Amino acid sequence: MRLVFDSSKCTGCKLCQLACSAKHEGVFNPEKAHLKVIDNYTIAGRSVELRSCTLCLKCVDTCPVEAITSNGKWLAIDDELCTGCGECVDVCPEGVIFLNDQITAAIPNFCEGSPYCVERCPHDAISVEEAVA
Amino acid sequence: MSYTWQVLRVNLGTGSVAKEPLNKDWAEKYFGGRGLGAKYLYEEIEGGTDPLSPANKLMLVTGPFTGTMVPCSGKLAIVTKSPATGLILDCSIGGSFAAYLKFAGYDMLIVEGQAEKPVYLAIDDDKVEIRDAGHLWGKGIFDTESWLRAEHKPEAGVLSIGPAGENLVAFACIGSEFYRQAGRGGVGSVMGSKRLKAIVCSGSKDVTVPDMPRLLEMTGKVVKDDVLTEDNLWAHSEGTPMIVDMSNSSGILPTRNFQDGVFEGAARINSNRIQELRPQKKSCISCALGCGNYVTLGDGRVEGPEYETLALAGANCGIDDLGAIVKLNSECDDLGMDTISVGNVIGFAMEMTEKGLKDFGVRFGDVGTYLKIPRLIAYREGIGKDLSLGTKALARMYGGAEFAVQVKGLELPGYDPRGSWSMGLAYATASRGGCHMSAWAVANEAFGDLDPFTIEGKAQYVAEAQDMNAIKFSLILCDFWAASMDTMSELLSCVLGREVSSAELNKAGERIWTLLRLFNVREGSKGAEDSLPGRFFNEALRSGNPAGKSLPREQFEAMLREYYKLRGWDDDGVPTKQKVAELEI
Repeated sequence: MRLVFDSSKCTGCKLCQLACSAKHEGVFNPEKAHLKVIDNYTIAGRSVELRSCTLCLKCVDTCPVEAITSNGKWLAIDDELCTGCGECVDVCPEGVIFLNDQITAAIPNFCEGSPYCVERCPHDAISVEEAVA
Repeated sequence: MSYTWQVLRVNLGTGSVAKEPLNKDWAEKYFGGRGLGAKYLYEEIEGGTDPLSPANKLMLVTGPFTGTMVPCSGKLAIVTKSPATGLILDCSIGGSFAAYLKFAGYDMLIVEGQAEKPVYLAIDDDKVEIRDAGHLWGKGIFDTESWLRAEHKPEAGVLSIGPAGENLVAFACIGSEFYRQAGRGGVGSVMGSKRLKAIVCSGSKDVTVPDMPRLLEMTGKVVKDDVLTEDNLWAHSEGTPMIVDMSNSSGILPTRNFQDGVFEGAARINSNRIQELRPQKKSCISCALGCGNYVTLGDGRVEGPEYETLALAGANCGIDDLGAIVKLNSECDDLGMDTISVGNVIGFAMEMTEKGLKDFGVRFGDVGTYLKIPRLIAYREGIGKDLSLGTKALARMYGGAEFAVQVKGLELPGYDPRGSWSMGLAYATASRGGCHMSAWAVANEAFGDLDPFTIEGKAQYVAEAQDMNAIKFSLILCDFWAASMDTMSELLSCVLGREVSSAELNKAGERIWTLLRLFNVREGSKGAEDSLPGRFFNEALRSGNPAGKSLPREQFEAMLREYYKLRGWDDDGVPTKQKVAELEI
């Protein structure tokens, strides 16, 4: 599974990021979201991009205690095993893993199949692709 | 609760940076944004303070919804004393700076004093630094913001001024995210007078609410049933350019310095033309609508032009060349100037020139000269030296007060009050002078079912709209979402964890409006100043629905007297002691 982004529909409201942190962490904090919209004007024009889990599995491979697993669709973490070392945070190329208040890694899991960010996007800029090659 | 209860206070003169608790009593009565900022300013500066002196302050205030998923809550209120009017000024600026300030842990930032040399303020959670801005001074807003993002964080919020603010132009603005502004009243010059080039802010803290599931359910419902509906979706599908045709067909589109209300070139600068450019839509943080139109035309690029720019810098200057307006808009955004006032000042100079009162070398429709003026104003060169002072000052120097289209020193926005009499009352009584944000009275009048050419019921209509926006801009919700008082109180109950009634918010609205009035009364602004330029009383409009109509002075004055009475103010427009006590100000 992965998120498909249509930048022409994105207005940069970041409701997706706020929704993600609200659902998974119970707070509003764009830094605690498993996706990031980066929407900036530059001298050259506007650039909009979405960063989210691509299932590259670098975190799975890097985790020294094998706490992170993939079912082929999304990731899961065993909080009992996680030591909060932060290696997955550093290795994630999308920057969508962070350590939460319990100092365990918060891992993107696409809300186990029906992502809340997709539900809360007002302009259908994010959708889900089930099969990942 | 969604408050952080922390205020960041920075004195640029002493270099002190201090954190202090938010005044809880004031937060309970004024909530945030416009109201809370006004309360702090009223209590902290003395009457008669020079707006460009170190004694003036900038109150940058968030609201109880800032940083949450409450829709359309992304703006920041900036409250200060205006160098253009000498009165209270509250501006709201879109983008995401407000949310970053909250995520950094602050409900409010107070900037006081004056730096010796140009500086910028860098906020990253608890780390707050006053840094040298010598290398940024003189740069436009686009370069300044780009440099600060590269130096700090790519996603940081930035507020900055351009050369106009540095050079203390009467209508310099503060810009953010290139094309969003705290536009009016010279708020950028207050920053410039403090030698504060910019504020860059990032934050990683949580914003919490007492009952997250309730808020998520409520905001989900509200976005679907109350925001993304026909009443509001115009903001997304077209945005404010839609108003060009509405104003023109109602005969209130300011044309050639408000000499006419129908512009023959309107179809060349209307929403259809903007839509042909296939704009990219852009919103503030948390906004489900997204009203911004990012367009490219020729070598011009801008998020805009908004209606006010099309009206004042277009029709009002006799300009129907959309490419020229886009260019001027973009340049004003970079130089840091309010396009409403720029359009008015140029239009006034054009009429002065044509009438032979003073030759500014520019006439209606003269695109070539028009495009050169913003730079001259921002750097105070050539004719820009005079124009940078604003319309009121120009009339004092060269005459033409009758058609100097300003109220209390603030140039008028794009709605001719002769075709919308309640708008005339709204302009005359707005706390920041000629302003359309306090009560957009054209909505139900020129654009709705109310008869625009009667004063009956208008005092009440305007007063209610003012109270509504006073509380709405204090809770900080965007005026493009037509939220009801009931919806606002329900949302507020969710984030405060106590039940707030519509009646409580109504009263707070009146309290805030009255406080703004008290601030201005302290500055000596009373009844006699609640008036309009002579043109609206004495000259009739020529075209369209309001052809042959002026706003007769005696009708206006009757409306004003009724308004004071309704408000519980005396004949001179001063709130009575009894009213002040009743509102617990």
